[in-house]
Amino acid sequence: MISLLVEDNPGVLARISGMFTRRAINITSLTVSPCEKPKLSRMTVVINGSERELEQVRKQLNNLIEVIQVRELSSEDAIVRDLCLLKVSAKKEQRAEILQLAESYGARVLDATLSTLTFELADEPRKIDRFVEIMRHFGIKQLLRSGICAIARD
Amino acid sequence: MRIRFRMKKNLSGAEIVLEGLKGEGVEVVFGIPGGALLDLYNMLYDEEGIRHILMRHEQCAAHAADGYARASAKTGVCIATSGPGATNLVTGLATAQMDSSPVVALTGQVPTAAIGSDAFQETSTFTLTMPITKHNFLVKRTEDLPKVIHQAFYIASTGRKGVVLIDLPKDVLAERVDIDTDVHVKPPGYNPKTEPNIMQIKKAVDVLVASSEPVILAGGGVISANASEEVRVLAEMLQAAVVTTLMGKGAIPEDHPLCLGMGGMHGHYPANKALSECDVLLAVGTRFSDRLTGWKTEQFAPDAKIIHIDIDAAEINKNIQVHIPIVGDAKAALSAIIRNLERRLEKSGGTSPRNEWERRVREMHRICESCINTDGDDMLSARMIKEIGRILKDDTIITTEVGQCQMFAAHFYMTKKPRNFISSGGLGTMGFGFPAAIGAKVACPDRDVVDIAGDGSFLMTCQDLATCIENDIQVVVCIFDNRYLGMVRQWQELFFERKYAHTHLGVTPDFVKLAESFGCYAERVERPEDLREAFKNAFESGKTAVLDLIVGKEDKVLPMIPPGGGLTEMIGVERCNI
Ligand SMILES: Cc1ncc(C[n+]2csc(CCOP(=O)(O)OP(=O)(O)O)c2C)c(N)n1
Ligand SMILES: [Mg+2]
Repeated sequence: MISLLVEDNPGVLARISGMFTRRAINITSLTVSPCEKPKLSRMTVVINGSERELEQVRKQLNNLIEVIQVRELSSEDAIVRDLCLLKVSAKKEQRAEILQLAESYGARVLDATLSTLTFELADEPRKIDRFVEIMRHFGIKQLLRSGICAIARD
Repeated sequence: MRIRFRMKKNLSGAEIVLEGLKGEGVEVVFGIPGGALLDLYNMLYDEEGIRHILMRHEQCAAHAADGYARASAKTGVCIATSGPGATNLVTGLATAQMDSSPVVALTGQVPTAAIGSDAFQETSTFTLTMPITKHNFLVKRTEDLPKVIHQAFYIASTGRKGVVLIDLPKDVLAERVDIDTDVHVKPPGYNPKTEPNIMQIKKAVDVLVASSEPVILAGGGVISANASEEVRVLAEMLQAAVVTTLMGKGAIPEDHPLCLGMGGMHGHYPANKALSECDVLLAVGTRFSDRLTGWKTEQFAPDAKIIHIDIDAAEINKNIQVHIPIVGDAKAALSAIIRNLERRLEKSGGTSPRNEWERRVREMHRICESCINTDGDDMLSARMIKEIGRILKDDTIITTEVGQCQMFAAHFYMTKKPRNFISSGGLGTMGFGFPAAIGAKVACPDRDVVDIAGDGSFLMTCQDLATCIENDIQVVVCIFDNRYLGMVRQWQELFFERKYAHTHLGVTPDFVKLAESFGCYAERVERPEDLREAFKNAFESGKTAVLDLIVGKEDKVLPMIPPGGGLTEMIGVERCNI
């Protein structure tokens, strides 16, 4: 997991994702957003690679002119969040059970129809994985996840 | 830092670009105009401070800028229009970037309002060149030009040098604005590290002092950092053997008794032996490319403590795991090592002599040298290049095409000075040598410039003979005419049962007539003993000359490391009896 501070220029995302493509490294998750500093963005990139690949990635990112800071984060020294939106079929007889399970995960109901329920859950990725697994039993109609945001602990 | 722009009223984008180039010390640019660049060329035509050389293909403009940069240590500049002009530049830019050569490319672009509409001659040069440049800019506002131009030159010529491209939409060049930019904003994320870490220097010196069989491996970074003198001094202090990479050729005079010449796939056998047997390897400004290490990296300096000096931290442990990394400028790092070593030796009362190693290194050097100085039963190509080495002056700049011709030159031509051997190492671009020679000659008009060419390669960029004649740029092209894509043919001969699949080039053209039709001097040479006269004629003609050297069709460049092999598994080493 790498946290990047980058200049918010047009093309900066293409440049960074292009670096991964060029070096044949798979990105598991990538998020970008504005941050506390004007004209800069923060990105969180998760890659699945060996220690050596990670080191190469870190250095190559540092070589990009628009990258201002590269910081490697581990799940111990960072707070990690993923946002999940999930629409599940909810037949009348299962509704109560679904709502109860969702509540125990801290998921919020965003929308409800006679046949579906839509939830929002922001949590650690592992928690979300489990929530999704459980909801599979009821039939997931649509699922999307934002990708990971991480902030270092002090 | 110089102040480049004072308050200036009502300048067009084109004028700002030219002011910016002059401010960066640019004296010459290589380019071809086009619709998107009309405003720029209109101003450039009247600009007395900048010489524009009209090339006949944009690829050649990029190679010429690259050759200019490599020969002179200054940043080369090339210009191309939008669309096909920019796509034609691509090969040249990728070539320069792979060899860390400082080049700034200016490309025209359709007007900002038309970007994205598939307008006439629109191509996304910005995204197209992202992976083959160190950095690139698409300028959207005329007022950004002073900053962008300054940053482009700064980025291209510092740290690990490379290519920066500036894409210039037509309206950005045409618009007039007031400029008062005299502050130069450094890119916030760019801080090239040049000063080495002193703790690492001390560790390196510890290891070097204790070594009994040290080898210095000098790469292109030594030349780029102008650190050749430091390499020589350190080698002599340590009695270390010096091996170079292709890009490092000339980092130490190749007739120096401690120099074993180039190592790697087509390197000298003694050089590869030294690399595999040394106990300490000081690698400077090299990225341990696969052409150097061979395929079996476990045979590459297996017992050595490896010290690696490089300006690019990303090169450390990329291809070869090293023990003592030193990130920084090669000259700064080598000077620090020398100073530290001197102090250490003063305290301990002089060197512990490595007599036995020095004797072996000198012996190995003699073998390399005698291999070059005697002809024996060599193939015609080898005899030709050896003879060329005897004829040309020591300060001649050699450029090469790619293939056997290149490897014959790398192996058998002794380079005496840095920046005197210019070759496409990383990308291996056929067609590079001739336009690079044009750039080198423009940079160094008082020196002889000779392109060692293959017949296949030369046909890829020979149209720029017109550029030479029109601009009175005198270079000599020596075509190693074997009527084959020889290097590929060699591999087919050795590893594909002599099945010469599409490597024969037929009999066309007649290179002498071709060259003469451009107005060049041309001559066919069939025997090495006729070369001296041919070169005399070529230089005395006062024009660009093409020498068509008829060499053996099936000459092979040997020794070599066969595919899959390691450094010590060279074939064709019989002549390098060691
Ligand atoms: C632009 C380009 N296309 C293809 C190749 C692959 N290639 C490498 S060497 C070579 C043959 C070069 O032939 P020639 O210029 O006649 O030199 P020779 O090997 O015969 O000396 C080829 C086709 C290349 N390096 N560059
Ligand atoms: Mg040939």
